[in-house]
Amino acid sequence: MTTHPSPTTTELRARLADTFSEECREYRQRYHDNPAAIVPILSMQGVTKHLDGRMVLNGIDLDIPKQAITAIIGISGSGKSVTLKHLVGLMRPDSGIVALNGQNLGSLSGKKLQAVRRRFSLLFQGGALFDSLNVFDNVAFPLRETTRTSESEIQTRVFGALEDVNLSGMGHKFPDELSGGMNKRAALARALITRPEIILLDEPTAGLDPIIENAIHHLICDTFLRTRTTMVVISHAVPAIFKWCHHVIVLHQGKVLASGPAMTIMDSSDPVIRQFIRGEVDGPIHIL
Amino acid sequence: MAHPVLLLGTTALQVTRETGRMFLFLLQTILASLSPPWRLRNVFKQIHFIGMRSLFVIALTSVFAGMVLALQGYYTLSRFGSEALLGPAVALSMIRELGPVLSGLMITGRAGSAIAAELGIMRIREQIDALDVMGVPPIRFLAVPRFLAGLVALPLLTVIFDVIGIWGGYLVAVQLLGMSAGTYLGGIESAVSMHDVTTGLIKALCFGIVITWVCSYKGYFARRGAEGVSHATTSAVVLSSVLILVSDYFITAMML
Repeated sequence: MTTHPSPTTTELRARLADTFSEECREYRQRYHDNPAAIVPILSMQGVTKHLDGRMVLNGIDLDIPKQAITAIIGISGSGKSVTLKHLVGLMRPDSGIVALNGQNLGSLSGKKLQAVRRRFSLLFQGGALFDSLNVFDNVAFPLRETTRTSESEIQTRVFGALEDVNLSGMGHKFPDELSGGMNKRAALARALITRPEIILLDEPTAGLDPIIENAIHHLICDTFLRTRTTMVVISHAVPAIFKWCHHVIVLHQGKVLASGPAMTIMDSSDPVIRQFIRGEVDGPIHIL
Repeated sequence: MAHPVLLLGTTALQVTRETGRMFLFLLQTILASLSPPWRLRNVFKQIHFIGMRSLFVIALTSVFAGMVLALQGYYTLSRFGSEALLGPAVALSMIRELGPVLSGLMITGRAGSAIAAELGIMRIREQIDALDVMGVPPIRFLAVPRFLAGLVALPLLTVIFDVIGIWGGYLVAVQLLGMSAGTYLGGIESAVSMHDVTTGLIKALCFGIVITWVCSYKGYFARRGAEGVSHATTSAVVLSSVLILVSDYFITAMML
């Protein structure tokens, strides 16, 4: 009788990366063959937004493809986080439309907006875990408050989610007892626990060491392959992000500079995009 | 330098906008507190925080307020040979005025500032936005339990303040100044009516609304980091205290 050794974690990770890479190639092909076949789930049309007298979004037009990972990239202050807050209805545009499956979010209020928001999860830049709750209760919070899930089911799901983000045994800790990386992973577990239709991630790897950063990218990708959830990621993790997403939107000065499959954007000859990807100080973007 | 008329207009617009937002917040809180779910566990937690944890400061303030009132009252009344009225004077001052007002001011300083700071920190750390995204209405989740707790805790604390204050007056009048216990207590029984007690409790109820409303509002809309939270906390305490004194006058005028 022959025994087949089970694949190691390293092999599984390599397989995950290969599968996803193949999928990204297919996505680019489909996009180039027939862009209309890529169904958008979220869209913004002509969105403008002023904050404290400064124009942050200057006529944003974008589509977020359904059941794909989309990265929004751009230099700091280009309007990425504000765009994300518009997508989930936390901010209302001064003008323009933000639509989910064609339904204008700006026309919704009260319970209708709450119902729509329950289709989303948002991982905030700082995690936004509740200080008064321990990690377990933080992760269980959306299930307890917005669903009728039984406590035993909640326990099973929370322990599973904590295991997924490698935080088993940390449920009793409070947010101020966690490191930055653990805090982010706990927040990620909370974002994933309700199995939402759309997950928005605001810089999920900011401030983390390269190993945890890579682990989180694997986790996001693995979650996507298992659930086919639409994901929107804001990230500065260039060039790594091009490996872990199907679609990329580049924001610059409150406008969409480019949008398309990750590989196409990666090969772009636009000097702003080139400078951003390479991280060069000299170029059309003047920082210093 | 800005033109004075422009400055006046801008300030007037800002005050109007802020007042409107405050009343809308109160309206939303009241409407949300009228319908389930009430999250009773959160309400009891807040009653414990606002009420139980303020007991010591309330007891300490009230006993000394009663003692000084008795001392000053005895000195003044003795000039007119009316020392026998000391009991009613202390009791009526406590029940009608000092009990609700001092309780309100002490709770503003102890619990109101904490409410503003806690919600302010939740705002700047995006925890309130997180509630919104999860489809949990933040006003219902954060403001309503505090509002309901204020409605319950303030009248209870005021009653405790009144009783301990009158007892403080008794200590000075009977133990220190040698007045007979019968004169002090008997005068109270005949002078204090149910209307006086009701007036005090209505004031306490109103101050409970003012404190939880203003402090929750200021914290809920805090902005700009730690400095913003500090500013929100200070302005919550100042505005609540001022509103307590202003509303005290109008309630007194209406209930006399």
